[in-house]
Formats: sequence, C-alpha cells, structure tokens
Amino acid sequence: MRFYLQKIMFYVVAFWAALTLNFFIPRLMPGNPVDVMLSKLGAKGPVSPAARHAVELLLGTKTSQPLWSQYWEYLVRIFHGDLGLSVTYYPATVSDIIRQTLPWTICLIGLATVISFLLGIGLGQLAGWKRGSWLDNLLPITTMFQAIPYFWLALILVYLLSSRLSLFPLFGGYDVYGASPGLNFGFIGSALYYGVLPAFTIVISSVGGWMLGMRNMMVATLSEDYILAAEAKGLKPRRIMTAYAARNAVLPSLSGFAISLGFVVAGSIVMEQVFSYPGIGSALLNAVQNNDYALMQGIFLVITFSVLGANLIVDLLYAIIDPRTRARA
Amino acid sequence: MASITTLDPDIAVAGYKRRGSSQLLPSLTPKLITGLVLSGSIIIFGLVWPHFVGDPGKINDIGLAGPGPGHILGTTQTGQDVFSQLAYATRGSLIIGFLVGILAMILSGFFGIVGAYAGGLIDDSFALFTNVMLVIPGLPLVIVISSYVPDKSIYLIAGVLALTSWAGGARVLRSVTLSLRNRDYVAASRVSGEKVWRTLLVEILPNLVPVMASQFIFAIIFAILGEAGLSFIGLGASGDWTWGTMLFYAENGLALRLNAWWWFIPPGLLIAVFGAALTLINFSIDEIINPKLRDQTHSARKKWQLSKSELKNLEDVR
Amino acid sequence: MMLLTSAHKKTTRGVAVAAAVVASALAVAGCSSGSSGTSASGASQITIFNGATGTIAENFNPFSPTLLQPTTGVIYEPLFYYNLAATAAPKPELATAFKWNAAGTQLTITTRAGVKWTDGQPFSAKDVAYTFNLIHKNPALNTSGLNATATATDDHTAVLTFKTKSFTQEPQVLGQTPIVAEHIWSKISDPAKDINKNPVGTGPYKLKSFASQSYSLTKNTNYWEKGKPQIDTVRYISLATADAASAALLAGQVDWMSAFLPNLQVLLNGHKNLTYVNTPALTTSLFTCANASLGCTGPQTDPAVRQAIYYGIDRTQINKLAGGGFAVPASPTMLLPARDAAWIANPADVTAPQSTDAAKANSILAAAGYTKGSDGIYQKNGQRVSMTVQVVAGYSDYISAISVMATELKAVGIELKSTQLAYNAWNSNETTGKFQLTMDSIGLGASSNPNFTYSPRYTTANTTKVGQVAASNGNYARYSNPSVDAAVAAAAATNDEATQKGQYAIVQQQIVRDLPYIPIYVNSTLTEFNTTNATGWPTNSNKYAFPASWKSWDNGIVLKELKPVK
Repeated sequence: MRFYLQKIMFYVVAFWAALTLNFFIPRLMPGNPVDVMLSKLGAKGPVSPAARHAVELLLGTKTSQPLWSQYWEYLVRIFHGDLGLSVTYYPATVSDIIRQTLPWTICLIGLATVISFLLGIGLGQLAGWKRGSWLDNLLPITTMFQAIPYFWLALILVYLLSSRLSLFPLFGGYDVYGASPGLNFGFIGSALYYGVLPAFTIVISSVGGWMLGMRNMMVATLSEDYILAAEAKGLKPRRIMTAYAARNAVLPSLSGFAISLGFVVAGSIVMEQVFSYPGIGSALLNAVQNNDYALMQGIFLVITFSVLGANLIVDLLYAIIDPRTRARA
Repeated sequence: MASITTLDPDIAVAGYKRRGSSQLLPSLTPKLITGLVLSGSIIIFGLVWPHFVGDPGKINDIGLAGPGPGHILGTTQTGQDVFSQLAYATRGSLIIGFLVGILAMILSGFFGIVGAYAGGLIDDSFALFTNVMLVIPGLPLVIVISSYVPDKSIYLIAGVLALTSWAGGARVLRSVTLSLRNRDYVAASRVSGEKVWRTLLVEILPNLVPVMASQFIFAIIFAILGEAGLSFIGLGASGDWTWGTMLFYAENGLALRLNAWWWFIPPGLLIAVFGAALTLINFSIDEIINPKLRDQTHSARKKWQLSKSELKNLEDVR
Repeated sequence: MMLLTSAHKKTTRGVAVAAAVVASALAVAGCSSGSSGTSASGASQITIFNGATGTIAENFNPFSPTLLQPTTGVIYEPLFYYNLAATAAPKPELATAFKWNAAGTQLTITTRAGVKWTDGQPFSAKDVAYTFNLIHKNPALNTSGLNATATATDDHTAVLTFKTKSFTQEPQVLGQTPIVAEHIWSKISDPAKDINKNPVGTGPYKLKSFASQSYSLTKNTNYWEKGKPQIDTVRYISLATADAASAALLAGQVDWMSAFLPNLQVLLNGHKNLTYVNTPALTTSLFTCANASLGCTGPQTDPAVRQAIYYGIDRTQINKLAGGGFAVPASPTMLLPARDAAWIANPADVTAPQSTDAAKANSILAAAGYTKGSDGIYQKNGQRVSMTVQVVAGYSDYISAISVMATELKAVGIELKSTQLAYNAWNSNETTGKFQLTMDSIGLGASSNPNFTYSPRYTTANTTKVGQVAASNGNYARYSNPSVDAAVAAAAATNDEATQKGQYAIVQQQIVRDLPYIPIYVNSTLTEFNTTNATGWPTNSNKYAFPASWKSWDNGIVLKELKPVK
C-alpha cells in the first residue's frame, strides 16, 4: 500500500512540475501572437495600421493581469477541462483542434509502434534462443536502421515509392476525393492505405531497438537456473522459450514500450512534415511558429499526460507482474 | 523511436566481478574493428578536412550541378560546393555529438553516482529530480528553448539536447551504484577509513566505466539524430553547418525533386554510417557488461574449433 | 501472468493479423480511388493548394483574420475588383458605379441589379449599407479603421458618410470589404466569433463540404454573371512543405498553386501541361533602422552609408544567384516600375542601378568623411562600417541574397554579417526596431495608388521609438520627415490625380535621397498551373488578375475565367 501511495505522490509532483513548465515556457518566447498574425497577413495583402486594435480586441490578448494570477487562472481552467481558444485557428478552441488531430496521430503512430514492438520482441526472442543463427546477422542491420535519420529515410522512400513508382499516395491522411470521413468502409480502407508508408517507415526505424534489447535480455535469462530446471524436467523447447524465458526477458522492454507510447505525439512532428499527415505534430509546429500560447500549452499537456500516464501504468503493472519491485521499494 | 538498451540495472549489475583492467577492454572482433575504422575516418574527416577545402558558403554561377571537375560531390542550388559543406557539416555535427555526450555524462554521473553513494536525503532528492526530468517531455522544452534564443548556435542546440537526455542514464547509474555500494570491498574500504572521493574514484567508478561508455555512445547518436530532426523542422542552428542543416537546405532547395542526389544523400548517409559504426562499438561494450553475449555469434563459435557434429549438437539442444 | 503468456503467443499471430489488415486495406483502397479532374459523374474539378499546412479549422467568417482564404472573393464578393498585377480601372463586381462628393466625405455607390444570394433571397443596396454599419458598430471587425456610417437610399443606391475627408479609404471600402446578407447576419449574435458554417454569399461558388483535411466548393448556379463559372467543383487541400507541393504538382494532383520553386524551369521540363506565370509585386528590400533620434544605432543611421549600399550591390548577380532570374528591377521610389511608371516623377528614379557602381559608392563615403581602414573596410571616428542583417531562418532565397550582397559590398568596403532567426523573433525585432538591417519586402497595398506604399511606411504617425511596437506593416525604419508627412497628407486630401502626382514627387525626392528602405529587386511571385483540367489561367501577357493562389479577392476572378478541358 505504501508503495502505491509513494508512486502516486511522485506522479502528482511530476504532473504539477510539467504543468508549471508548460505555462511559463511558451511565455518566454519572443514576440506576441498579434504581431505575428498581422505580419503574416501583411505578406498576403493590405493590412492597415488600424488592424492591430481590432485584432487585439478580437483575441483578447491585451491583458494587464500579473503573471501569477494568469498562472492560477490557467491551473483552475485546466481542471475544468477548458484549454482556451487558439490564436492560429481562431475562434476554434484548443480542445477542438486537439480533437481533430489527435486521433490521426495516435492511430497511425500508436499502431506502428505496436507493430514495431511485437515484431522486434518476436525476432529478438528468436535471436536470443537460437544462438548463432542467421538472425544474429539481422541484428546489426536492424540496429543500423535505427541510426539512420528518420526523415531522410522517409523522404527517400516517398520519392522512390510514391513519386517515382506511384505505389503509395504522396500526401494526406485519406483520399479526400473519394472518401468522406465517418465510420464507413471506404474511409477506413483509404485511411489504412494512406497510413501504410508512414507506418512502414516508423517500423523499420525502430524495430532494431526492440530486437536488440529483447535478445540481450533473453541471453541473460537463458543462463538462469530455472531454465536449466525446466529443461531437465523435459519440457518442450518452444514452451521454455515462451513461457519461461521470454516472459521474464520482456519486462524491461515492456517498460520501454510504454514509455515510447508516451512519446508518440512528440515523435510525430517530423513524420507529419514528410507525409503532410494532418496530425497533432503539425498543429504543434504551427502553434510554435505563431506564438499560439494556448494551443502550445494544450498540446504539451496532451504530451505530458500521455508520457506520465504511460509511465504510471507501467510502474503499476510492473508492481503487479514482478513482486520483487514491490519488495525493493 | 525507442532506443532500448541493455542497460537495465539488473543486467548491468549481475555480471559484475572485481576484475583487472585488461578485462575491461573489449576483444577485437570484426564488428569492433569495423566500427572503430568507420567512426575514426569520419572523425578525421570532420577534424582535418575543413582546412583543405574551400569556403562552403561561397556562391557560384554554376547553379545546381552534379559531381564533376572541381566539385567532387557537385554543387547546391546556389553553386556552393557540396563536398566543402560536408566537411564543415561533419565537424559541426561531431562537435554537437561529443558535447552532448560529455555534458550528459557529467550530469548523469553527478545525479546518479554521487546521489546514490551519498544516500539519505541527498539520494532521495536527486532521485526525485531525476525521475521528474525523465517524465517531463523533452520535446516541448527543446522546441521552446530553441525558439526562445534568437541567435541559435550549435552550442545552444548541444546544451538543450544534453539537458533533455541525461535523466535516463542517471537512473541506470544510480541503480548500479546502489548495488555496488553494498558490496564487500566497498564496505571494506569505507570501514578502513578511505576518503569518500577516493572510494568513488578507485572502487566504484572503474566498474561503471563500461556502462558510462555505452551511455556516452548512445548520447552521441541521440544528439546527432536529434539535431538532424530539429534542423529539419526548421528549429536548428541554421546559421551553422551541420549534417542536419545541410539536409534542411537540401530539402528546401527541392534536391530530391530535381534529382540532385549528390546534395541530399551524402549528409544522411554519413549520419547513418557514423551511427552504425558507433552502434557496432556499442555491441562490443555490451559484451563486457554482459559476458554471456560474447559467445553468442556464429563467428565467436568458430573460434572454439568444434567439429561440425559437435556444433550441430550445441545448437540443436534448444 | 496471464497477460504475458497470451502476449507472446500473439507475437507471431499479431504480425500475421497486421499483414492481413494491410492486404485488405490495399484491396479496398483500390475501390476508393479518385483524383483531380473529372469525378465519377463527369463533372469538372480542380484542386487548389493555397498554402494551408496541417489541419484546417472551419471558419467562413469573412471578417475574421483567421478565415479560410476562398471566403473573400470566391464565396463573398467586394463591390469592385482592383487588379494589382496590371494598371486598370476598378472592375465592377457587386457595384456598377461610385462617386465621391467634392469634400471627400460622402461616397455614393450604385449596386448591381439581378444579383441573388445563394439561399435565393435577392441582393440589394440594403445589404451593402448593413455590412458597413456592422463593421462600424463592431470594433473587433473593423480592421481597416473605417470611420463611416451607411444608408441605403433605395434598392440600388448606398451612401457612405465619413466623418473626415476619406479619399484614401476608397480601395479598402470598395475592393476589400466583403458584402454580407442582412437577413443572415442580423441574426448572428457574435459576428466576430461566429465561424459561419453555412456561408450564404453572392460569389461564384458556395460551400459543398468541409473536412479537416480538405474542403470543396461547388458552383453557384444562380451566379449573376451568366455562363460563369464553368468549373463545377473546386477542392482545397493542405500540404506541409514546398517539397510536398512540388511533388503534388508534378504528379498532376494540384492544378493551381503559388510557390517559389527553385529551378522552376528545370522542374517543369518535360511536363507539357504545366505552366507558370510570374507577377512580381513585392519589392524585396533591406529595411534599415535609420533614425538615430528615435533610438537607432549603427553605421546605417548615416544616409551616406545607406546610399553606398544602394550603389554598391550588383542587382543582376543577386537576381541570378538568389532570385532564380525571376525578379525584375526595383525602383528607389519603392513603386513598381512596370506598373507604376506614371506615378514616378523623375525618370532617373524609375529603376535602381542593375550593376555595381563602386566608384559612386566610394565617392559618397569619402565625401561623408569615411576612410578605408587596413582591413579594407571603411571607418569613421573609430567605428567600422559593419552591420548585421537579420533574416528569417529557412528563407533560402533571402539568405542567398544576403550572402551575395555581403561578397559584393566587401569589395566596396562595407561589411555585412547575417543572423538567422525564427519568424517570431525576427518579427518581434522588426516591429520594435531592434535591428540594424533586416530583410523584408514592401508591396501589395489595397490598390496601386502610391498612398498605400508611402503612408504606412514613411509617415511619422506610423512609427515610434526603438523599443516600442510600431504600427503593424508600418514604418519600421523609424523614418521621420516633416516634408514627407505633409506631402502624403496633401495627396490624401484630394481625389485629383494630378495634384497627387505633384505631392508624391516631393515624397519621392526625399526618400530617394534618404533611402530608409534600400530596394534590391521586385521579387517574383510565381504561380504554377496545370492545364490538363482547366484553361483560361492568367498568362505573362494577359495578367487579368494577380493569380497567387493565396491572394484573396483575385482568386474569385480567376475561377470565373476558367474553362474545363473536355
């Protein structure tokens, strides 16, 4: 019981620290949203000097509130679920924008990470089990894929497979001409098709890490006494590999997996730039470029939630699965 | 994109025995040699070659031209020599990589080792701080800090990347130190009245060297990839030459569209080769940390000079 | 425990499932294909990329600064259309005539007959009057600073009454104000915040469907211009980078887009159905912080240094290496030589020198008391003529231009260094005057009348001390000259072009000597078209509109002229 309380207290502290950072850091950025907006409008057409007053009124940015009272108001609003209005997409609320974009990012990158994890774990398990097989040669290759800059590989693949060979679409999340969003077969099929290449690039650039970790853990676990005992008992090799060795070897990978799920949003920015995928990463980039404090804070909050949430779940799960963790604390 | 490592404290600690320094060095396997040769040549390229090439920023009338006389790797869209840019970019990226590696190592070493050895309140507060830094998403910090300082240099980028990457290593080092602290020989030296710093330096640190070396290498790879990613979305040190900024300009100049492979491919390829070389070196370090890995590969097996049937027997047991 | 066992059995199964899903998706996707061109029913369709990146937020409110671009011009129309790409009289749209009174305080507008809103209701002058009153009553909507009330004297006449002489408001009022329907907007409670989901306008297209990644418009069958528009559907998409845009263009998936694509001619080689038009409109210049009395510091506060830079650069070389050869000569009067030659008083001021005049630059500096130091850079009273130029990181053409200029000016004896900043930091420095030199451009006023260049950029009213925020898109150079202020005010007080020309001649004489903004060239605005699905685009010889796909108002004009290719 004490263990769980400790954990939860820690996460409360971490969450508060993240919220505070999320509030202050965007405000440290130079410039203000009104000037940026007017300057960008001015590049596309005439903007009279009188526009500034109108836009300030509209956005409600003229505030003489002291920073501390703004901070308190921000905390109160967060707990009511009110994330404010976005400047870039005015008058849409931050929640609207997040609702529009988050599902795309989560579905694509979440799915790709899960596939990558399962594939990596499976291959790592086999590589650790069958020592000295051809799978061992696969290991350096997949690990090297991890060292390749993701966007470089993705751009080359897009150029070769989408531009040159027209096997995959060039941009977008689904076919905007043929499919309309909703729970229909055409839309889902189109979304899956458009997600293949992005997911593929994510998988090949991250599968190496899972494989390496799993293999090394398998090797360590296979030398334990209980494996020897299981062999002596005469159990089938396959059963030993999965039920005894892999089950124990996967523990560190599981925690790493949960942590990487938390970083799904963070990792999506580059992917969305390459594939013109309309997810939350590109919304974050737009927010940064427009000094859109509310939207930035909102998206950072989502990232914080997912990272902390994933960590908390893993910690709790670990405690359930591995009794030693509880004892160690 | 996860970079799971073998540096789970359980494993790192399990294989430890007090050993002589000769056993700390990795054995020269083909993987290690390849890694050292590749990374070594890239480092030499980055350190030495900028002195021999022309000005990377010099604009020329030629425009976008392929490899040819005078320009080994062709030119960019404004006639700048790609090969000179590559040399300067290598130097820039290596500076970032090593700076981040060193900074992250110092930070994680301080918060991990010192905290764990000191124990008590210091240990608790350091551990809390480390864990909080670990779960706070690094990306927002990186984005906002790098857009806050107007004139971005590679040193700022290196600093920001180091700030957001030391926490993971600190946690591992802390676990390892905690277990080492309770070993007999450490207790013995404490009891015999050795000064704290001497104990840390002589008893504890040597055992941590392989772990720290592995972390150092990972930090370098992470820094170079991170800088490349930041530059690609336009938040990098675009005034300086690094592999990331070269790719940024190549992408903006529509290099791939215009079939200018000589501009787009080399920087990314160098990142990949350097990262791969470092990973190979890391494999060898893994073998020190976890000696069971030494006997893993087929090539290692060959050294045992077993007969064919004995070999098959060995592999078929499982 | 159970969790893990099943997790591992599922490993191989999981991979198989994933593969099956992908395979079926590919099969299904084959059924749901579609692209630009003709849709299933044979209707004509074009795809436009207007610069939207990331997710699209629905906003068809024509008064909102974050509106979706086709709202103004394609869905809602102005009274008149002002073409910035060529010299032409304003083209009647929803109004057929206008007349000022002598004092410039009353504008009488005759509206067009036979126009209907897309919901079938008839359009009248009452809607026009309502629109102007709406803007006047809501300061949050009043981005033009309109100070007038309006009444509709009958169904075809609307009269605007201004408080002061307002001739200069004409292009804004007639060409930049979207006319909305009284019967719809009188029921909207918050006209500033409403996103106007079902826009009812008079324009050639109306909203068909909206999704966060793309939206489409369908033709207005009740449009007042008979036989137009001819293209049935217009679709707008979102793309993240210029690279993605050029890939889409080359693949034939975009019909109209505006992007500065390096090596455009090489890119379009071999694509017979791709064409482009260049409508240079923005004068790329070095903005200088010119006024020491308002707080500027640095060598550029001395007009002699600014003139030396002006004569020292080789504009032909800059155009070749940085502008892609697409830029055209600029004028020290900051007007466009090609379009505004009639407004330029002194023939010597029509174009800036296109090659380096090192001798002149040297003599100017020598006459002002500068001497060359041992490093080849001029200096005076111990201060070297060395300045820093600020530029937005990622604007590769600007960055290249600065690089070229730095080399050219070094030969003359002036040192130029550059810093790259993120957009918000750069913009913040520019508005507060915290720069020595900065790279930006001037142009695209409400009409081609010089008032829209001189008034915002050169008058004291639009500037402030260094450290305070100046009026947006205003006098960033901190230039303050009483004779210029007086001349601009005098020109604004009359509707007579001859008088205006005389006053602007005074302005030009001053600014050509002082050069607070040092013109480099008039930067290209490249727009690319695909002629497979539609023809009738503006061409270099027929610039009937300013065709940038991101420009408001002109987009409607272009869409009206397009004809589908059968």
